[in-house]
Amino acid sequence: MTNKLKYVGKSVPMHDVMDKVTGEIKYVGDMKLPNMLYAKLLLSDIAHGVIKSIDISKAQALKGVVKIYTYENTPSTSYNSHIWYDGLKAIEDEYLFSKQVRFYGDRIAAVAAEDKETAERAISLIKVEYEKLPHIISPLEAKENPEYRITSKEIKSGEPENIIQTAEIVVETALKTQKVHHAAMETHICLANKELDGTVTIWTPCQVAFQVQLVVCTALGLPKDKVRAIKAAMGGSFGGKGQPVLEPVCAYMAYDLGKPVKLYMDRTECIIATRTRTATIGNVSTAVDAEGNILARDIKMLVDAGAYMTNGEAVALAMGKKAFRLYKIQNQRYTAEVVYTNTPIGGACRGYGSPQIHALTEINIDAAARRLGMDPVKLRLKNLFQPYDKDSIGGPALGNARVIQCVEKGMEVFNWKEKRERPKAIGRYVRGVGMACATHGNGYYGAYQDYITMSLMMNEKGEIILNSGIHDLGCGTVTTMKQIVSEVFDIPLDKVTAVEGDTFKSPFDSAGTQASRVTFVCGACALKAAEQTRAKLVHYASRILGCAEEQVVLENGMIYASDQPDKKQAYGDMVTSIQKTLSEKVEVSCTYESPANPASYAVNFVEAEVDTMTGMVRILEVLAVHDIGKAINPGFVEGQIQGAIQMGIGFALSEEISVDSGGIVKETNLGKYHIVNAPDMPDVKVMLIEEGEEHGPYGAKSVGEVSTVAIAPAIINAISNAVDIDITALPATPERVLEAIKRKNIISEVRQ
Amino acid sequence: MILDFNVNGRDYSIEADARARLIDVLREDLGLTGTKEGCGEGECGACTVIIDGLAVNSCLVMAHQTRGKRILTVESLKQDGELDSLQKSFINNGAVQCGYCTPGMLMSCKALLMRNPNPTEHEIREAIEGNLCRCTGYVKIINAVKEVVKESKAPSEEDHHE
Ligand code: FES
Ligand code: FES
Repeated sequence: MTNKLKYVGKSVPMHDVMDKVTGEIKYVGDMKLPNMLYAKLLLSDIAHGVIKSIDISKAQALKGVVKIYTYENTPSTSYNSHIWYDGLKAIEDEYLFSKQVRFYGDRIAAVAAEDKETAERAISLIKVEYEKLPHIISPLEAKENPEYRITSKEIKSGEPENIIQTAEIVVETALKTQKVHHAAMETHICLANKELDGTVTIWTPCQVAFQVQLVVCTALGLPKDKVRAIKAAMGGSFGGKGQPVLEPVCAYMAYDLGKPVKLYMDRTECIIATRTRTATIGNVSTAVDAEGNILARDIKMLVDAGAYMTNGEAVALAMGKKAFRLYKIQNQRYTAEVVYTNTPIGGACRGYGSPQIHALTEINIDAAARRLGMDPVKLRLKNLFQPYDKDSIGGPALGNARVIQCVEKGMEVFNWKEKRERPKAIGRYVRGVGMACATHGNGYYGAYQDYITMSLMMNEKGEIILNSGIHDLGCGTVTTMKQIVSEVFDIPLDKVTAVEGDTFKSPFDSAGTQASRVTFVCGACALKAAEQTRAKLVHYASRILGCAEEQVVLENGMIYASDQPDKKQAYGDMVTSIQKTLSEKVEVSCTYESPANPASYAVNFVEAEVDTMTGMVRILEVLAVHDIGKAINPGFVEGQIQGAIQMGIGFALSEEISVDSGGIVKETNLGKYHIVNAPDMPDVKVMLIEEGEEHGPYGAKSVGEVSTVAIAPAIINAISNAVDIDITALPATPERVLEAIKRKNIISEVRQ
Repeated sequence: MILDFNVNGRDYSIEADARARLIDVLREDLGLTGTKEGCGEGECGACTVIIDGLAVNSCLVMAHQTRGKRILTVESLKQDGELDSLQKSFINNGAVQCGYCTPGMLMSCKALLMRNPNPTEHEIREAIEGNLCRCTGYVKIINAVKEVVKESKAPSEEDHHE
């Protein structure tokens, strides 16, 4: 950008931050409607079986219980909560309520009652008899069972098999990644009401309002003009509130009862019965030559969709494609098998498969460097993509790919060489450094439809209203859009209002807040809408001012003809004149279809300290370098990265949803499910490489997801660097680290 | 049962269920919904309020245990239309994303500064160890508190020089 930017590139505060610091903002949990009922779910306490009988008599008799819902008195239309647009095909295996129980946490019943206590009490009074069936919790076992095998995928370029077979140096790595809880601080919740005209209105902290509408319509058999989804204040999502979990059930109850119903979950329910990061078992073989050139790579992923399909297939494909967008590897194969297990349901989770596959491949790259006795940074620099290189499977152009620059700058700032070559401490605490690279996309171009319509209007006060189906998840989307619009018109942010998703009021958006598309695609639409509206304003103003369009100047909220700088008038006055004299509105509705899907890159450097007595790992320092194109709001970008690092440290070291041999979830609360807290959180330094991306607004590209991808492998590589062990399963808990240290000691003793 | 207590400087005498938790009374009976519930088990800190100067998880306290006590919730921070210095600093430092942890986070920090106006970074981290945040990675929250400490220190240091 040659012009000096006034609003873009500034760290202005989030639009609703005042309401958040005062506690005045209303999340769905804080909303109340007259005569509102409270609803609670009954979840299965077995992993697999069939319901033989449900006795609701005691619960029904409780005073204040309004109605109890089970599979017996609700629609039995199957749906898939992952389907976000009409025409997207995926196995539809979900129901409002199950007769077939597929995991510990499956929805058996719901109670609507006059108050919370009654709803909760009634749930405990429902008696369910099950016929238990054998369950499978291991994806490896599931793979051998045709009823659990869903599909397989392959992506390939060149002839990797032959090369790997004959290569002298082939480095193999195996890694298991776990199910993770999104752990948004706000647990899942939904409010629905039936309006007098029969419409069901749903208030939900969601990521895709049009998906909520679609899934509810499918499950309930209602036309779209009878279901209105409104995006409510969001208390954190990270993909966890992407697929509608509670909305269909809540909407059905409200529809059936003709009353407002609030359905809420506690933390335990949220952990076991919403969605999780898809677990994987990965194996990779990489052939390298002695100079560190990657000759070929073969990646195999076993993808555990959990009890229901949701996005199992989509996530398997998405992660595979990432393997072709980081290093120049001409000969590469990715194969995935997707299976069901009787365990919590997989779904979208920040990074959508990227953290899983990068953990495997980036640990493998370090293993290759170790085998060659080479600095892992050097090996990477030899193989990373250059700007405008081509995706080796013909995927969307990588664009201005600046990953090499990220590595080089990061190395310097982190002081990589010195830290890496420093002699290792002997004794209990050993430090090591590690790094990893990662890539992620910018929307759906090349995979799914990706467009959005926005309308923008300037009123008689010179204020602008941007109407579109956006969703602020707490990342600053609304403010980001406002900054873009403010820049185009040269007016302060408080003159711009950007409203959020409401399926009865918003112009259509094809994909919502997913796939790291919001700034890149929606932001580009906001820019286009603003530019078109500006052009309209200029056009009409030239007629009013009696000058050429080129002479119309817009400056700091004032408009004038360049040869009459003393006759400035406020935008609003000009709009009023335009309306009065020309009978025209300064308003535009425009659709923007994303023409590209460049790669965003992140490079993380980590220093970690391993306690060789306890296996405890402490992260001392993190440097996150990002190829972001341009930061519309650098403060938000840093915030995204720092939060993503917190999530990634948990993925690497402490967070896991696991089940026991009976399929019962072990980590059922935040006491057992360990997310990183403030004392354990390292300082995170952020460095942005802002080299601009052609199709991004002001050059911007994504950051929200890619920021959580590189951290886990960087940590594991730092652990390996410290104590020379192989971690083969995440999270690297103290037990696992200790075990690996012991294993290594035994091996080295045997060798001696 | 009648519950007499003081919330945000105002005396209340209300009829409250003997089994009600403090968080429910605050949110449901007094309409102070700024206090959030994230776990109901004392593990997330979203429900933190200040009772007689101490930061406490209001989901773990029975309302009747607060008889005669002085409680402060996030709604108390803004006084006469003016934000508390912590609130301002949270805004200026970008310490708020989804905002769900924010009320609890602010109250833990407030309690810290009430008993120790000059905490070290280590003490700040310890003070919010029970407040989980999934959005920010705590970095900007810690910076926000540090800035308040620094700013409040500035004039007192001047005093010292006089
Ligand atoms: S709600 Fe009280 S600590 Fe989580
Ligand atoms: S700002 Fe979202 S949990 Fe802290």
